Amino acid sequence: MAAFLIRRLFWALFLFFAATIVTYLIFFVIPADPAKLAAGRNATAQDVKRVAAFLHLNVPLYQQYWIFLWNIIRHGSLGYSYVSRQPVRFLIGQDAPVTASLVFGGAVFWLSLSIPVGILSALRPRSVMDRLSMTFVLIGISAHPVWIGLILSFVVGYKLHWTPIAGYCNFFPGSSAVQCSGPVQWAYHMILPWVTFMVLFAALYVRLVRANVIETMSEDYVRTARAKGASERRVMVQHVLRNSMLPVVTILGMDIGLALGGAVFTESIFSLPGLGHDLIAANNAGDLPLITGIVVFATIAVITFNLIVDVAYAVLDPRIRLT
Amino acid sequence: MRKKHLLSLLFLTAGVALLVAALSVGAASSATSSVKKAGALRGGVLRVAQSNTDFDTVDPGLAYVTNDWTLLYATQMLLVNFPEKNGQAGSELYPEAATSFPTVSKDGKTYTFHIRPGLKFSDGSAVTAASYQRAWERNLSPKMGSPYGVNDQFQKVIVGGEDFLAGKTQHIAGITAKGLTITFHLTHPNPTFTSYLSMQWFGAVKPDMPYTTTGINVYPSAGPYYIASRDPGRTTVLKRNPYYKGSRPANPDQIVITSNTNQDQALLQTKAGTFDFDMNTVPSTAAADLGATYGVNKGRFFVGPTACVDYLLLNTARPPTDNVAVRKALNWGIDRPALLRILGKYAGARSDQILVPGIPGYKPYKIYAFSGADAAKAKTVGGSALTSAGTFNVLHTTSPARTAQAQVIEYNLKQLGLKYNDVPTAGTTYYNTLETKGTSYNIARAGWCADYFDPFDYINVLLDGRSIQANNNTNMSYLNAPALNKAMDAAAALSGKARADAYAKLDLQVMRDYAPWVPYQINNDRFFVSARTKNWIYSTYFGEPDLNALAVG
Repeated sequence: MAAFLIRRLFWALFLFFAATIVTYLIFFVIPADPAKLAAGRNATAQDVKRVAAFLHLNVPLYQQYWIFLWNIIRHGSLGYSYVSRQPVRFLIGQDAPVTASLVFGGAVFWLSLSIPVGILSALRPRSVMDRLSMTFVLIGISAHPVWIGLILSFVVGYKLHWTPIAGYCNFFPGSSAVQCSGPVQWAYHMILPWVTFMVLFAALYVRLVRANVIETMSEDYVRTARAKGASERRVMVQHVLRNSMLPVVTILGMDIGLALGGAVFTESIFSLPGLGHDLIAANNAGDLPLITGIVVFATIAVITFNLIVDVAYAVLDPRIRLT
Repeated sequence: MRKKHLLSLLFLTAGVALLVAALSVGAASSATSSVKKAGALRGGVLRVAQSNTDFDTVDPGLAYVTNDWTLLYATQMLLVNFPEKNGQAGSELYPEAATSFPTVSKDGKTYTFHIRPGLKFSDGSAVTAASYQRAWERNLSPKMGSPYGVNDQFQKVIVGGEDFLAGKTQHIAGITAKGLTITFHLTHPNPTFTSYLSMQWFGAVKPDMPYTTTGINVYPSAGPYYIASRDPGRTTVLKRNPYYKGSRPANPDQIVITSNTNQDQALLQTKAGTFDFDMNTVPSTAAADLGATYGVNKGRFFVGPTACVDYLLLNTARPPTDNVAVRKALNWGIDRPALLRILGKYAGARSDQILVPGIPGYKPYKIYAFSGADAAKAKTVGGSALTSAGTFNVLHTTSPARTAQAQVIEYNLKQLGLKYNDVPTAGTTYYNTLETKGTSYNIARAGWCADYFDPFDYINVLLDGRSIQANNNTNMSYLNAPALNKAMDAAAALSGKARADAYAKLDLQVMRDYAPWVPYQINNDRFFVSARTKNWIYSTYFGEPDLNALAVG
């Protein structure tokens, strides 16, 4: 177990370095002179030179990268936004919980829908339920989250007034009387984003669960359990569901990371002040430190999450340690 | 068989229960939301969306983006300011904190203002001459790193400005503040100086407001409102200044600005009454429908001109656009109405000149094709220079609107028998490319809005050839005509009517004789407001309504 842990930790560190190198190269070296971007319009050559020195862009590339990396590791600093002049760490710290609430809330929704529907479809293949779930899957995979979000907010929010059209409320109650906050308002404002966010993943997971359950039901140990007279409930819960859910846990770990990318669309449509929304705004404004900061943060989040899943899975299934 | 379905049904029930619970909360919340009575102007909370962006900063020493100044207009007290009036009257300066317009010395180099007594910041402290001295010093201090005042070369305007910027002095030697009297000593006579002071950089700040490169979000201010709270990227809340005794309106009790909203959703939210309007206008695709449904400037949908001009830059330093005959031909051959139509209905008014309405010296003229491309005339004007012209590099960003405009240009060039090279460029590097001397573009779209209401800020700033440097140029057509530069200097030295007349002449002369641009549009801004929003007063200068004047009471 110790060797497995050490190996995984080294992989995580390697991925971190690789990701930060690529990120640095993409955003600070390839596109344009960051000093010119940071200096603003009308800046003289002298101004650009001064800004270049301030940003350490006048030293060799490997030194620039080392300063960038050292600031992250030693000071936890991702620099300052060119646009708002705020520390990138502060902006990410402020907005990451919004993205997290979207992603994890969405995951609860998609699992709540896909597991029961997937199981029911598997138990009665080619039934009306199975065909309806297939239709949902096709729509969920084909329709873009932007379209789904716009339709939902127009119909459910604007026409029916069942939910807010868009917007966000902080989870923790604030002192301002004019701004909404608190868990109830937070959940109320997150309904449509969660539903929008879950559609694609729920569609995929319905098929995944259905396929796993059907496959597990034909396993020898399930037949043996039935032959030994185990009740149908026991067979389903103890043997079929337990084993068919293992791949779902693995995929879920990876998909939570992937879902961060999908959050860009949902946050944009529903005006959620999360990292995806920040990313679009930073891209439009050429705010390199913020773009880099978000990419680095997302990378660290995905690496950490996958590390946790790997370790948890190894604990649950000892065979994993051998691979 | 019922048993094996139990687990699945449990999951399904849990999911449905979550949705039902959340929806029932929503219904209760909607039922309790209050609807304010319309009528009285004062009171209520004005809820403003600011789609797709946030204020880059609300620190007056650093702020520059248009919306920053719209917000600061509600919170700041300037020596001279624009009144809350619609139309031309809203573009005429009046003494706000000053008792009158300045006393100017005979040599035109010393400006003295007297400040009205009894003015106070939102924390109750007095506004004095030192408040305005500090504003200048925060704008030019090396400890602030504010690029904009330096970019406008203000350090060269005031005596001692350059030493202060270099960190050699504690104060700007050319600014004297004693009690309620502030005196500015200029390096050269400058008739534009009073106009400079209408910029939001120069509003009163507390004399101990610190220098900082990151900006200050919440601070006492002396205008009708102050910034009560700000979450960068999210929400900014303004509250009425309890010590404000001036004549400017302060109608809403609070102004809550939610940033980074989605523009389409903000329109729906405004229709539903969640927001009162979106600072970043309506989606261009919605303008025609809104105009047809609500009428224009009849209470809900407003269209107002800005002090911004859109134009196609023609690179005068690179063939074939280095030839003035070719540039004039393009002014005949480009389809202005087609460029405008792409931006949606009510996007602006056609133009073929540099200055915009409201700016002193603006005299409307039509010297090129106004109602569509005139290829025959263009060929006549271009003559052999046009027929022998090489390929035109057309630079544009990859946004849908700019790509479509580039297609119009391509079509127009083909009509003239010219070769076209499409150069799509990322928005983040677009201006960087244009601003670099030696750039390879021939035709590129650009726009300009006034920093202050004076023709100098258009003609001298954008077309003086002596300002061309290696990078970061504002003269992006790279026109450098000594005779024109000299005429610009002469116009800049004038004041009053003579100044306006000189710039009117220059405006025409530049386009008739040099044609460094194809101006095509004076921009409009389009806004949609909630049913409860009243007292719409629109500032051409900011291209926004005056927040403090809007009423939702």
